[in-house]
Amino acid sequence: MEAKTLSLAVALSLAPGLLHAQFDFKLDGASVQVHSFASEGFALTNQNNYLTMNTTDGAFFTDFGLNVSSNITDKLRVGVQFYDRDIGHLQEWHPVVDWAVVDYKFSDWFGIRGGKVKTALGLYNQTQDQESVQTWALMPQSVYPLDLRSRTLTHTGLDIYGHVGLRRAGSLGYTIYAGKRPNDTRDGLYYAWAAQGYPNNAFTGKMAGTDLRWTPPLTGLMLGGSYAAINDKYHFTDVSNGPTPVAGTLNSTTMWIASAYGEYSTGKWRFNAEYRRNLSKYFQVDPDPGQTEPFWYSDKGWFVSAAYQLSRRIELGTYHSRYYFDVHSFPEASTHYIRDSVVTLHYTVNRLTSVKVEGHFMDGTGDPYGSHGFYDADNPQGLKPTTNMLVIRIGYSL
Amino acid sequence: MKCVKSFFTLAAAGFLLTTSARAGDVKVVANNSVTVSSISADDLIGVFLMTKSSLSGGHVEPVVEQGGPAHEGFLKEYIHKTAQALQNYYRSQLLAGNASMPKILGSDAEVVEYVAKTKGAIGYVGASASAEGVKILEVK
Repeated sequence: MEAKTLSLAVALSLAPGLLHAQFDFKLDGASVQVHSFASEGFALTNQNNYLTMNTTDGAFFTDFGLNVSSNITDKLRVGVQFYDRDIGHLQEWHPVVDWAVVDYKFSDWFGIRGGKVKTALGLYNQTQDQESVQTWALMPQSVYPLDLRSRTLTHTGLDIYGHVGLRRAGSLGYTIYAGKRPNDTRDGLYYAWAAQGYPNNAFTGKMAGTDLRWTPPLTGLMLGGSYAAINDKYHFTDVSNGPTPVAGTLNSTTMWIASAYGEYSTGKWRFNAEYRRNLSKYFQVDPDPGQTEPFWYSDKGWFVSAAYQLSRRIELGTYHSRYYFDVHSFPEASTHYIRDSVVTLHYTVNRLTSVKVEGHFMDGTGDPYGSHGFYDADNPQGLKPTTNMLVIRIGYSL
Repeated sequence: MKCVKSFFTLAAAGFLLTTSARAGDVKVVANNSVTVSSISADDLIGVFLMTKSSLSGGHVEPVVEQGGPAHEGFLKEYIHKTAQALQNYYRSQLLAGNASMPKILGSDAEVVEYVAKTKGAIGYVGASASAEGVKILEVK
């Protein structure tokens, strides 16, 4: 590892501590909150490079965010969050508006939120980047892949949300939304397609969905489900078959994501589980290949986890995560799954800082044609069937 | 895989040995603008998890202590979350863009002072703390 890279990583890991701040102040009588967060991680694998990083030699990764929000009135709130990261070939220090919302809450059971909104999907979709609120250094990649996060992370549109009391049956939180998904040219899908000779020009679409979270009268239990219908449109350039690039378009005719999840906490214990399934059906419409049969793609992922707060500062955790893609669509793939068993030690240094040390024991390399952690471009020597990984992550947040 | 199995074994043993500590005595205090004199335990959870922002038509907002016996006792008795879990919950809501952080204060005296001057504020203090200038809500 180059000394320059190491120095940069150390500087970046210290900088958030200096920059780290929470400011509350009044502006024209309205309370304004400013918060920031950052993390510095290190990943080392025994074989196979992972998540577009050179992890076999040891690789650092960094992210940070800054948000400003204000309650203009009791019912009206506005806010914006900026986010950036550098994880291998992902994002590479190109900051984005993570979310920017105007939120009007008419009542507890009915509110409207518009702008660029974090999508309510599954247990952690909205908070998967927030290292400080998670036990894990890396979220279960079967459901929350770092390299594909932007595909479902946000939408620019409108949410209706609320919380309804169900008397003896507990309470129900709901979100209904519709909008356009962002076009993230620096995620794993672009990276994978470009490496295969199909640079994407645009990959976006519309989505609409709902998320329901039921809190039954059993203390500590929450059960939920999400469904999103998506319209996808790929615009790509085929440079794989000759010197003349050919423009192409793939349209989805069917695409949905469904998720079921639950959380149970009792005393110092917390248990979580989630199951997610994606189904896509595409037609190539340009150039017209005379295609009569759709191209099907489906995958699914799930995880179960347990965490125990051993002391005020120490939390221990473990999860098992599995990802499968539809082997019938890709019969030539050598492995169509990734199984990951994980143990974590989460040490809270102080109110602002925490350190996580995590071991991953992975079997399989998943989908070699798409993008799910393991990329041919990063592993030119060929992918080995198993990967062990050490992750250390220092996080700052307030 | 051996270490995973060992962890699960330790985890199971710890789970069986987990005991519930006695909740500290706390009282729930509110600004005088809050029209109710009592609050249900479910509504109290809703207020502090920010899913409930009105009581009897009036706006309410939670005031949280940063730590201490009143905080620990309140969380154990009413919210059923550890201090860390509640902090993570608030951060999650904030960083996802769903809510602002509630007011977090350092002592019973600061809570009483803030609640007394802030319309709709609801907080908690130790049972022996002064409640001058605020009203005490009965939790049903």
